[in-house]
Amino acid sequence: MWRSNRQTSTIGYSPCPVGPAALLRRSGYEPCVYPVCIVPGMSIGHTLLGLLEKGPRHGYDLKKAYDERFGQDRPLHYGQVYTTLSRLLRNGLVEEAGVEAGDGPERKRYAITDAGVTDVEHWLATPEKPEPYLQNTLYTKVVLALLSGRRADDVLDVQRAAHLTMMRDLTKRKADGDLADQLICDHALFHLEADLRWLELTAARLGKLKTAVTK
Amino acid sequence: MTSGPMSGPDQTRVLLEAVDLHKSFGPTPALDGAGLGVRAGEVVAVMGPSGSGKSTLLHCLAGILTPDKGTVRYRDVELSAMGDGARSELRRTDFGFVFQFGQLVPELSCLENVALPLRLGSVKRKEAESRAREWLERLEVADVADKRPGETSGGQGQRVAVARALVTGPRVVFADEPTGALDSLNGERVMQLLVTAAKETNAAVVLVTHEPRVAAYSDREVVVRDGKSREMEPVT
Amino acid sequence: MRLWFSDLALGVRLALGGGRTSWVRLALTGAGIGIGVAVLLAASSATTVLSERAERQAAAEPVLSETPSGDVLYAMFWDSDYRGQSIVGRFVRGTGPDAPVPPGLSRVPGDGEVFLSPALAELLASPEGGLLRERFPQRVIGTIGQAGLNAPNDLVFYAGDATLAEDGLNAITSYGGQVSERVLEPVLLLLIMVGSVALLFPVLVFVGVSTRLAGAERDRRLAALRLVGAGAQRVRRIAAGEALLGASVGLVVGAALFFGARLFVEEIALLGISVFVSDLTPSLTSAVLIVVLVPVLAVVTSVVAMRRTVVEPLGVVRRTKPVRRVLWWRVVPIVLGALALLTQAGAFGGEQVQGSDKIVIGGIILLLLGIPVLLPWVVERSVGRLRGGAPSWQLAIRRLQLESGTAARVVGGVAVVLAGGIALQSVMASAETRIVDRPTPEADKGRIVVGLQDSSPQEAEQIAALLARTAGVREVHPMRGVTLRAGDDEYHMATVGTCDAFRTLAVLPNCQDGNVFYLAAGPRRSDDAKLEAGQQISVLLNSAEEGQGHPQWTVPAFTDVPPPDDDTSLFRTGLLVTPAAARDLPVDLDSSSVHVKVDPDRPDIAEHVRNALAPLTWRAHTAYFGEVDVADRVKEFQSIRQALLAGSLITLLLAGASLLVLALEQVRERRRPLAVLAASGVPRGALGRSLLWQNAVPLLLALVVAVGVGGGLAALLLRIISQPIVLDWAGIGVLSGAAALMVVVVTLLSLPSLRRATGALGLRSE
Repeated sequence: MWRSNRQTSTIGYSPCPVGPAALLRRSGYEPCVYPVCIVPGMSIGHTLLGLLEKGPRHGYDLKKAYDERFGQDRPLHYGQVYTTLSRLLRNGLVEEAGVEAGDGPERKRYAITDAGVTDVEHWLATPEKPEPYLQNTLYTKVVLALLSGRRADDVLDVQRAAHLTMMRDLTKRKADGDLADQLICDHALFHLEADLRWLELTAARLGKLKTAVTK
Repeated sequence: MTSGPMSGPDQTRVLLEAVDLHKSFGPTPALDGAGLGVRAGEVVAVMGPSGSGKSTLLHCLAGILTPDKGTVRYRDVELSAMGDGARSELRRTDFGFVFQFGQLVPELSCLENVALPLRLGSVKRKEAESRAREWLERLEVADVADKRPGETSGGQGQRVAVARALVTGPRVVFADEPTGALDSLNGERVMQLLVTAAKETNAAVVLVTHEPRVAAYSDREVVVRDGKSREMEPVT
Repeated sequence: MRLWFSDLALGVRLALGGGRTSWVRLALTGAGIGIGVAVLLAASSATTVLSERAERQAAAEPVLSETPSGDVLYAMFWDSDYRGQSIVGRFVRGTGPDAPVPPGLSRVPGDGEVFLSPALAELLASPEGGLLRERFPQRVIGTIGQAGLNAPNDLVFYAGDATLAEDGLNAITSYGGQVSERVLEPVLLLLIMVGSVALLFPVLVFVGVSTRLAGAERDRRLAALRLVGAGAQRVRRIAAGEALLGASVGLVVGAALFFGARLFVEEIALLGISVFVSDLTPSLTSAVLIVVLVPVLAVVTSVVAMRRTVVEPLGVVRRTKPVRRVLWWRVVPIVLGALALLTQAGAFGGEQVQGSDKIVIGGIILLLLGIPVLLPWVVERSVGRLRGGAPSWQLAIRRLQLESGTAARVVGGVAVVLAGGIALQSVMASAETRIVDRPTPEADKGRIVVGLQDSSPQEAEQIAALLARTAGVREVHPMRGVTLRAGDDEYHMATVGTCDAFRTLAVLPNCQDGNVFYLAAGPRRSDDAKLEAGQQISVLLNSAEEGQGHPQWTVPAFTDVPPPDDDTSLFRTGLLVTPAAARDLPVDLDSSSVHVKVDPDRPDIAEHVRNALAPLTWRAHTAYFGEVDVADRVKEFQSIRQALLAGSLITLLLAGASLLVLALEQVRERRRPLAVLAASGVPRGALGRSLLWQNAVPLLLALVVAVGVGGGLAALLLRIISQPIVLDWAGIGVLSGAAALMVVVVTLLSLPSLRRATGALGLRSE
């Protein structure tokens, strides 16, 4: 189910030169992605929905709120905001909540629908597919959970379960594979382990983060 | 979060179960409502930050500590209802232990160390030592049989410890940071041997660790934070 | 020099740096050394106790004068018993205000007044002394000060008595005399030497052992220093610093223990020995010696014990098997000691000491030193061969095989106590046969003899009537004794009494007033002096004036009679004369006695008899029939034996305390493996048993070595006093049993600490 929500923002896909990697690719965790992967994969739609949970906003407000919290490096493009909002509108996740005087899309106020709330909830409860540079998506999820008064540690725990499941898979494969398999799996395992450690560290610092984002 | 479907081999029967455990050392609570169920033959990782109560939970499960509140049931018998002697015997016959370090009796040879639990169960010395030797071979450390633990490397010592934990054919093996003192390669090897041997004998393993790569050898995990436990749903 | 100091300081820092465990270890070391230091301080006070007593005794010695001028003091010595405790008193009468006052008294008590020693006053005030109060109707006007007493538990009194005769021989003009030098028999001297060495040397051994507490831990620490590049000399100095710290703490603890216990010493009597607080002061030289010797001993033992750490530090860190011990130098002390003692053979056998007491003491010390030196080798070799057995046995044996040093040291001290005890016991038994030439006869508790002074036969009859009314008294027979002399040097006893009275002494065929018998104990031998009927014989009277001739008496016809068969008491042979036959026999006033047959099962019957006689004060003296006074040298022997027994008791207690400290330390050192074993389901019983084996196996070996060395030492010492070599096997058995019992008790006492160590907390990483 969560695969459908996934947005891959990967730029540059280097072909995997080594044979056994093909085996791994099927798992969705291609080790050869790492060297060139730059842009974080994350869902702008769900983020905007999450921000709307606090109350109806203009598109411009939404962009500002987004940039403040998540867009330090890459502020959102206006166009991106409006295409996303119109997609959400089409899917019935947001609705227009009145238009102020004057024309133009920036005058429209959007509100989240019940379907939208359910969608956010579902998104938060669904772990991301373990892959590199997930932390921005996870960070967004955690912050949105904290902002909306949901349990942020649930988000992290669900994610760690997903990571560990992946690691179990790799561990099992490693046991059956030859040395090359083992080396490649270990590479992936060590990176997943790093992610997991980050998850644990974040979990330990949730209290601090909450005071920081809700102040 | 309630436990979802189990991926362990035996899905029907909870072998060892702790419910709502509370335990304090002085004023600080080490366990504050933790619980855990272990099914036969499954490997459960207990993870969590240092000082979260992982080890205390393991000690309570194994009947080494008696919780202040809550119950620990093994095969439907409550451990706190058993006497100290009966619990000792249970630990000797049905449980096995692997710790981070310092678990082998430094005076005994590795072979004698592995044979010790059998001999305490009044198996004849010859028989005990031949079974111990088999286990040492299985864990690929037969060459250190006659050395004392102080003369072996860390990895060898841990494998001897695993052999000692498994030699009695326990139903549950408790492993508290079994690879904590080892490098990755040795640690992985020890884990592989431990899990393989446990699966072969259908022994459950309760694995306390803070290393995700070690936890990856488990079937599922329980996270302990601030004395509370959370059984994680494996993602399918 | 600066470097020296900084190394020592580093050692101190290391010893303190380990947090709680360091402090626990330091506390244990301090306790172990402290107990030893306290015992040493007490022992070094013994000479002060004896000299102070001798000085007080001399100061209390009365100076008599036959031609006194001015006021004098008449005194009559008297002693009594109360439930086996001896009460000694003097009845005194001063002739005027300037009469000399006995030491410890504020003045001379007047008629009807009494000074009591504090112990006697306390006894009289206690419910236990209720029966005794009848004997002291006088007004108590004060207590006797320390100057008038030997020991705090002395039961002594001075009572004023106006009826004392003005006896010129007993006129005291002043108090105070010379301290008399006591000359002991060589055998007794040797006994004291053996005793002091056998009792004090183990103390030193325990002090040495205590400085090695947690040796393995320290070895690892120092080996680590060695590995980072500290030179052998520096490591030794650092270790010396650690040892010095422990020794200093021990000295402080010991001094505190000694001076703390000293405060209560007057309240305690160990085997009848009690001392005054002020007497129990170590002499300056020995105190200085202890303060210097203990740290030196600590440093020397720790440096010697560190050889291995210095030589192969890597092995210590990795806990590999230690190098095997070598034998040759370990037997050197024993050989030297034996040779030293052999040169003194017979030196203490005669009336005079002919040898050197220094060589003897040195020899004993060397032999005893040989035990802790030899024992580690014996334990290592014996245990090295052992295999198999139950798991608890295997755990213990393997432990001993890997590290037998601590265990050997633990029992080494006990073995020294034991060997010393065996030697002491044998010498003591042998000395006893030599000093006490005949066995002290058993007194007949059913018969009390009341000796009367200054009483006419009529008064004796009145006293007899008085006694007959006392509950529990069955028969009362007044008798009188006379000493007869035939020829120059042939003395006989004659007793005057009724037929009924004589029936208590002898088997009489039939008896009428006027009959005379001759009582002989055992068959009469041909060379015994024999009285003949009709023989003229002199009657010796105390009251006879000097120079006067003795009255003569003709021996009447008599019949030989034996003593009663069942009677084992000692009888003097002599004439038994019935009153009708004794009409012309002159009798002294102070030779009357009353034989009282009592019901021995009646509690306190003797006290009731003594109470009935209380009004007579010094005129009546009671004793059990057959009781004999013992010779001075026997008394000396007995008091030495008493002191040695008290010392042995203290040393054994010390041994037990040290063993306990060491056992606790061993458990502490092995906390983690023990906790893991308990967690894996090894029953605590099995762990406890392994602890017991771990103590018992070395103990057994120690027993063998101790019996060997102790027996050898005894044989050598017996040669020195020229006595046949007889070992006291019963005594050896009792001593060995006591040592074994001690190990069991110590193991039991260390079980709670095992229990704590095996709790889940022991699993937590340090």
